[in-house]
Amino acid sequence: MGGAFSQLVMLGSSGMLVTALIVLWRKGVPAYITAYRWQSWLLAALTATVGYYGDGQLYWVAGLLLGLKGVAIPALLRTMQRRFGTEREAAPYVNTEVSLLIASVLVVFAYLLGRPWMAVTQLPTRQGLPLAMSVLFVSLFIIVSRKKAITQVIGFLMLENAIALLAVVGTFGVPFLVEFGVFLDALMGFLVMQIFIYHIHDTFDTLDVDALARLRH
Amino acid sequence: MSRYAVLVVQPLVALGLAPGLVGFVRWLKARLQSRRGAPPWQPYFEIRKLFGKEAVVSHTASWIFRATPFVVFGTSVVVASLVPLILVPASPLVAGDVFAAVYLLLLGTFFLALAGLDTGSPFGGMGASREMTVVALTEPTVALSIVALALSAGSTNFSQIVARTIAEPAAALGPGHLLAFIALFVVTLAETGRLPVDNPSTHLELTMIHEAMVLEYSGPYLALIEWGSALKLLVFLALAANLFIPWGLAFALAPGALAIGLASAIVKLGALAATIAVLETRVAKLRLFRVPELLSASFVLALLAVMSTFLVR
Repeated sequence: MGGAFSQLVMLGSSGMLVTALIVLWRKGVPAYITAYRWQSWLLAALTATVGYYGDGQLYWVAGLLLGLKGVAIPALLRTMQRRFGTEREAAPYVNTEVSLLIASVLVVFAYLLGRPWMAVTQLPTRQGLPLAMSVLFVSLFIIVSRKKAITQVIGFLMLENAIALLAVVGTFGVPFLVEFGVFLDALMGFLVMQIFIYHIHDTFDTLDVDALARLRH
Repeated sequence: MSRYAVLVVQPLVALGLAPGLVGFVRWLKARLQSRRGAPPWQPYFEIRKLFGKEAVVSHTASWIFRATPFVVFGTSVVVASLVPLILVPASPLVAGDVFAAVYLLLLGTFFLALAGLDTGSPFGGMGASREMTVVALTEPTVALSIVALALSAGSTNFSQIVARTIAEPAAALGPGHLLAFIALFVVTLAETGRLPVDNPSTHLELTMIHEAMVLEYSGPYLALIEWGSALKLLVFLALAANLFIPWGLAFALAPGALAIGLASAIVKLGALAATIAVLETRVAKLRLFRVPELLSASFVLALLAVMSTFLVR
């Protein structure tokens, strides 16, 4: 317990943050999907680590995470991406350098926000809290700053990951049943969004959400 | 005693190893690309050959052009005596912390850019302006990753940083440490003209940065610059290796400890050089306009490193 554990938690959370930043940095949906897969694997590993030091029930959660978010959803994303071809993220609303800098400001903000919180709690995982908040903010930023619907979906999935991370480091994991419900919610949300994206693509021939503002005729 | 030995032994070892390191990267790259490649010790022959040749200097060149090779080589040698390569003196020297080392290396770069402009050739000016752009972009990353290290050690002194990491091995796993390492590695690639930023193996006029600046040099001048650049690569890699993974460094001037220090330095440098070779085989050169994206990504990593050490205390 103690030193090595909190270092590992911090390392995993930073890794998740880096994968979120990769989405801001790279261009091209396959890279985003890979980043999301890495993030989910890191989340599963982190959950298992917390389970090792705390509640053994978290192993189940970790396994479920690995299966659902680490394998199933990335595979679904890949089929989706293959169907639309390798369309690039043409021009996000904010260019890459500026969005990376904005992301760093968001991280600083998350740390400042997390300060009083960290002063109160005595959890060994408390150093992961501001990092989880940072992942949350960065994925929100991905959702608002990218134009393609599929990238926005990946941003949403990363947001979901961030909330799961927050649950794991903030409370040592919520009860299995609640976690399971959240998973199913996320999966349902994803499937609904997938249907939406297929329809957007069929109707507008593009995934650029700017096209939705125009009238069809 | 040991602090004076550092001043003498380390630069000599570094000077001896540097061309071999560059040759090793080239050789490994060639093997990875299914070419036979020149043997790793080829740069030694090249430097000896260049020293035997006549130097040709343009009419329009001023003293800056002649002085630059000595500045580049001299700063590299001085820095090689400062950084922990095989030996960390127990009682630190008065001068010589991380800032001094990094900015001495930048002094060499600055003079190289001046010399590129000095002869008035279009390539020199182009290379110099590009180099200055890249250096200006790497600057904040360098400073921040140093600060990340210095914050956790409470000092910018090499010996104290190394001693702190050895005393607390768990800290080496921390994100502050790892992210700063990645940021510094990206900066190393940019500063030493390696692949995603600059292509070290061609003289393709549209893309070159470092080669464009040294295009006018010949003979012993070129030898000094080549040797100095090789030394710069070695120093940057030694910084990255020994500040973040300091195990194996010698702390006293005992022959046994020195031998272990040398062996571990060679292993670490070899590993990092192999990483560079693999990376250069896998990635293509970035467009010049996309270099800022890479460097701002490394800046964000360095900033995260500082955050996680500074705000979490």
